[in-house]
Amino acid sequence: MKTTLLLVLVLAAGALHAQVSYERLLGAAAEPQNWLTYSGRYSGWHYSTLHQINTSNASHLTMQWAFQTGDLGQFETSPLVVDGVIYGTAQNDRAFAIDARTGRPIWRYQRNLPDKLQPCCGMVNRGFAILGNRLFMATLDAHVIALDTKTGNLLWDVTAADYHQAYTFTVAPLAVKNEVIVGVSGGEYGVRGFIEAYNAETGKRLWRFNTVPAPGEPGHETWSGDTWKTGGAPAWITGTYDPELNLLYWPTGNPSPSDYGGGRKGANLYSNSMLALDPDTGKLKWYFQFTPHDLYDYDATQIPVLIDTEWEGHARKVLIQANRNGFFYVLDRTDGKFLFAKAFGTVTWATGIDKDGMPIVNTSLKASPEGTRVCPGALGLTNWYSPSYDPDTKLLYVATSTECDIFTSAPQRYRAGHDFLGSIYVPDPAERPTGALKALDVVTGSEKWSFPYFSNPNGGALSTAGGVVFAGDSDGNFIVLDAQTGHDLWHVQLGAAIYSTAITFEVDHKQTVVIPAGSALFAFALPE
Amino acid sequence: MALTRGIQLVLLMVCFVTAGAQESKTTTNPRPATIKEGASLFRANCSPCHGLNARGGGRGPDLTSGRWTHGSSDGDIFRTISRGVPGTEMPANAFEDSEIRAIIAYLRSQAPPKNIKLAGNPANGKKIFFGDTGCSNCHMVRGVGGVLGPDLSRVGAARSVAYLTDSIRDPDQELSLGMTDPNNHYVVPLVYDTVTVIKADGEKITGVARNEDTYSIQMITTAQELKSFMKKDLKEVSHERRSLMPAYSVDALNAVQLQDLIAYLETLRGIEDKEVK
Repeated sequence: MKTTLLLVLVLAAGALHAQVSYERLLGAAAEPQNWLTYSGRYSGWHYSTLHQINTSNASHLTMQWAFQTGDLGQFETSPLVVDGVIYGTAQNDRAFAIDARTGRPIWRYQRNLPDKLQPCCGMVNRGFAILGNRLFMATLDAHVIALDTKTGNLLWDVTAADYHQAYTFTVAPLAVKNEVIVGVSGGEYGVRGFIEAYNAETGKRLWRFNTVPAPGEPGHETWSGDTWKTGGAPAWITGTYDPELNLLYWPTGNPSPSDYGGGRKGANLYSNSMLALDPDTGKLKWYFQFTPHDLYDYDATQIPVLIDTEWEGHARKVLIQANRNGFFYVLDRTDGKFLFAKAFGTVTWATGIDKDGMPIVNTSLKASPEGTRVCPGALGLTNWYSPSYDPDTKLLYVATSTECDIFTSAPQRYRAGHDFLGSIYVPDPAERPTGALKALDVVTGSEKWSFPYFSNPNGGALSTAGGVVFAGDSDGNFIVLDAQTGHDLWHVQLGAAIYSTAITFEVDHKQTVVIPAGSALFAFALPE
Repeated sequence: MALTRGIQLVLLMVCFVTAGAQESKTTTNPRPATIKEGASLFRANCSPCHGLNARGGGRGPDLTSGRWTHGSSDGDIFRTISRGVPGTEMPANAFEDSEIRAIIAYLRSQAPPKNIKLAGNPANGKKIFFGDTGCSNCHMVRGVGGVLGPDLSRVGAARSVAYLTDSIRDPDQELSLGMTDPNNHYVVPLVYDTVTVIKADGEKITGVARNEDTYSIQMITTAQELKSFMKKDLKEVSHERRSLMPAYSVDALNAVQLQDLIAYLETLRGIEDKEVK
């Protein structure tokens, strides 16, 4: 009798803390009260069907709480929300679980990092993946770890690569089936990039796809000499997934050295590419390279957004991406066929895109020690921060920068663990860089509206069924815009640059939006 | 005289210090190839903060002035590069020893000859600064002067004679060469350009921005008042890529006066802490 009662109690207690099954991840769009993956759903939309906050009431938004990470640096997380608990990562590989209702911490985790780390762009981390009762984090010292959702306790910890050679992780992993998938960072240090999958239960590595082919592998001929060994092509932003096609879409970054091509003659596959991988095996199904033989650091590490749309009179499964190189692309995601591209800002490195999707490179621009002005600059017309696709407006909301850079060549020899740029770039001093949030028609690539930012941005966009777009700028403003018109509905100054993108969820029947800024996560909702 | 926006920022930054001498091989009479390697290393690693030609950038001081505020021996500079400067944005650097020596050789090659003696008379220069030329109307030195331009209390430690000369004769030149902040980490804009706002009633106000975003601007006006405006209340906000500082031509400041003024500026090494002294 006692045993039966104990069993009942255990089952009851377990039910209070629901596990996140793969089926729940597949159906994430049907759980708008939660935010279960980096982009909210496998398709990468960064969109929510919640509509309590809408164009008529957004001006009444009120702060609910703030959570302090207790650390400095860029706060780039995109938190997950599961059944009333927010799970996020923070600067210097901190992590936390907090009560979504109050912002009160439930547990905190701090990775004990080694002294000498070489992340190019800050001690940042972009978030967790969740599966079952485990959270997965890829760390700055190139490990992949699993934490218990209830306690933050470490469950497994595997070494993916050698941080002494500047391999590092900043990416939020993606959980698919029973796997945790990650992509490495280090394109500024001459790493050899990879995407790999681990068993979520055990931490055992299941497969690795090297993004720079070795001798004998297809694509190796696009590298001269031994340059493939230090070829870069990292994979530092979370991919997306089409369960029907069983294809994983994961973009790659710049070849190394990032801004000097003299030593690495060839197209340098699979740098700056979209890769379609079989998530069961890691085998490459197709690829599309946006910027062959890159000289300007045009990582293609922008979220691949998967939509089904009418294309020239027929339904088509497409992948859209506003690329850092300044062009908006539409690809057929079943086979990678190029369909369309259009510049969404000032582009000078190429004069256009040909019928096969290849850039028509502006050959009058040549790197020189004196400097050459190129648009977009090395940080791109857009960058890693999430775009948002709204199925109601059929617009893609993309944060953009006007920065053009002066590139001056400074060839370097490779030294393991040291930066490997081959050039230095500075913003054109004649023009102060600004930015904008742009709404792009996903079929034509044309700009429907543009909301100007005073400074070039580091934060992305969230759209919702309330007809609003949430965005954050580098001057610390959290902004709500009308999704149809770009009209400014509300803003608040948060006191520090915003380096991430808002997410939304519902708790106690109240739609809440959270945004990281500075060292804090801020929550907003409508007043009671 | 607005000696460009960079100076004030550099004054705020203590980027080169040393905790004590560190022995290292000297860079006496380096080979041209060493200097060239140092130049390449400098461009790739140091120029984002210290400027392409080491003449100072948005985050780091001029390294060509021949003046090393916190230790001028090769050992001092070696340590500063390798260990960085705790408490500042100058990081530790994992160069090989030979690479640091190459960078030092490059920096030495950019510096003016040793024992350069300034011809000017600092006492006369001080009179010029606080006199009719109007420098002190906009610039403060040790608590005396205006607030429109950068505080120059430490300018002699941060800027070379050549830079000061250019800044006085042609302030727009140094402004347009620009101190850039490639990663846009600063909320306060680095630009020392000219801003004009037009209010709803048509009143035009000119000055320099202390901060600005999509919605508001905070500025010091030419009347040296601190003003804040919401952009929705303004008819216009315009930026001009020019300094509010007048260019001091030979007619306004002859060669001897310029030498005297620079000799005075070169004496400015910061506000002494009398308690410690």
